[in-house]
Amino acid sequence: MTVAIKPSLHQVGINLSLLIISLVSLVAAASFGAADLSFADVLNVLEHKAFGSGESAGIAERIIIELRFPRILLAFTAGAGLSIAGSVLQTVTRNPLADPYLFGISSGASFGAVVVLTLFSSSGLLSGSGLFERYEWLSLPLGAFIGAGLSVLMVLSLCGRTMSSQIERMLLSGVAISFMFGALTSLLLYFSSPQAAASVLFWSLGSFAKASWDTLYLPLAVVIFSTVIILLFKRQIMAMRAGDETAHTLGVNVARLRLQMLLLCSLITAILVANCGGIGFVGLMIPHTVRMLFPGYFPLLTTALFGGLFMIWIDVLARTLLEHQELPIGIITAVIGSVFFLTILRRKS
Amino acid sequence: MIKQSVQETEILKVDNLSWHADEREILSGIHFCLTKGEMLGIIGPNGAGKSSLLRCLYRYIKPSSGTITLFGDEITTLSAKEFAKRVAVVLQDTPHHFDLTTAQLVAIGLTPHKGPFDITTAKDREIITDALAKVGLTHKAGQTYEHLSGGEKQRALIARAIVQRPKLLILDEPTNHLDIRYQIQILELLRSLNISVITSIHDLNLASALCDQLLLLDAGKCISHGTPVEVLTEQRIGDVFGVCCKVEPHPQHANPQISYFYGYSSIREKQGGQDDCGHKA
Repeated sequence: MTVAIKPSLHQVGINLSLLIISLVSLVAAASFGAADLSFADVLNVLEHKAFGSGESAGIAERIIIELRFPRILLAFTAGAGLSIAGSVLQTVTRNPLADPYLFGISSGASFGAVVVLTLFSSSGLLSGSGLFERYEWLSLPLGAFIGAGLSVLMVLSLCGRTMSSQIERMLLSGVAISFMFGALTSLLLYFSSPQAAASVLFWSLGSFAKASWDTLYLPLAVVIFSTVIILLFKRQIMAMRAGDETAHTLGVNVARLRLQMLLLCSLITAILVANCGGIGFVGLMIPHTVRMLFPGYFPLLTTALFGGLFMIWIDVLARTLLEHQELPIGIITAVIGSVFFLTILRRKS
Repeated sequence: MIKQSVQETEILKVDNLSWHADEREILSGIHFCLTKGEMLGIIGPNGAGKSSLLRCLYRYIKPSSGTITLFGDEITTLSAKEFAKRVAVVLQDTPHHFDLTTAQLVAIGLTPHKGPFDITTAKDREIITDALAKVGLTHKAGQTYEHLSGGEKQRALIARAIVQRPKLLILDEPTNHLDIRYQIQILELLRSLNISVITSIHDLNLASALCDQLLLLDAGKCISHGTPVEVLTEQRIGDVFGVCCKVEPHPQHANPQISYFYGYSSIREKQGGQDDCGHKA
């Protein structure tokens, strides 16, 4: 009788169901937005695109294929990436409040974005070279990515070799770096034009509005690659939940694994923050929600799928809540996040 | 308790082991050997260096000098995985928020045997099921570890170690915080596994009843090493633990049975530990 780990089969079922719901959501979410398109319109466009049958929908096809699909896929990628990064970081730092912005990544990225927007943009202090105009689509994500990378490098150099053994030191370094970049960002904003400040604010609250097939590939590839690596190390990460010393006795090189996972999660976060801005709460909230929904498992893949699915529908809300206007993603996730934590607190008390 | 016969095959050899932390000498000049199937109890007062010695044995800390050989191999030459296949460790503390099921916790024991691409096979499930049966927790397989009782938690951790399929099992005070029923149950379980065991233990009577050999530590030094009869003398217990006691053969297994006398610790301290407790045999 081998009943002992039967739940793993159950978990395969959960993941398959989530995958199917995500695919259906991908199609369903494409019918929401400013242009009035139905679910049937989306299916029609897909049929035409895939088999060449059905009617060509012209403008509807362009909206669905070129605008909405990359946007929905980016939302799914961001949700999945931030959720799995949050889950892994909560485990390897043994800090239930850890989220993907642990190293001050969002502050670093904001700083990078603000530098681009205030110094190099058309209204910026160093404008006139024409370079920004030529590479506008690239300069903001690149600036944000460099800023995020810089914050990670600074935390690593502050902690030095004690990094992976002294978690507290690493967390505090992250807080310090975060404040430092926050101060620099505020300083630059103080001297910048109102337009640049408004752009920075909108960017820092997160949005998938700029998604296109061209900018989707890199975040998608990074999130898929990182998720596969994380899943390959699943046993070792799970062993770390039993504590560093126990993981060591199970043959896990704790310091090396922790460093690898921190770098991988930083890569995911830096790429996502550069492409979608700072989307808070998801990396913290989704791992906790999944653990509550499926207690007793260590559901890394489930967390990623659930996070992706959640983000698809948050983006739908962002597009449809206000007429003729989009809400930044970060505002919706923050509202849901705070209600979520208050509900948990109330239930626990 | 009937002790099992011990085959004279050396598993572990510790030679002149010392460890210093920040110039402070924690362990010095420790020697001992462990043969196949033998159970060694490490005893001594708080701060004697029991946990530090165990940490050296499972390579969590690096000794300042001396050698530890496992099946003839110096342990530092083994890879982390190779070492974990030979030695399993059960520690005192597990993290507070440990929301895995018992079966999942036990399955963690497969870690050193699995590469990144290996999946959990039917044979692995069988190993896990057998380990749960061995510790009597089959019916708790699906229950969260946090909701197990103290004794069940300890048994679940031992099941995890069994799944590791080690040749040597090291335990750091496995009977801590358990009532006497669970203490006896855990130690009898360890004896029934037929593998070599090293365990630190506080209860001298339990150590005497269930261990083949005892190693008495005090202030990082080995005070005595041998069978319970050789190690547990009234004088030695008095000197090391600062208590007064009487040692008699246990009516069932004839190993030393210690009875403690109360109200003498202050007298011993006043007389520099030279008092003979004043009790009459």
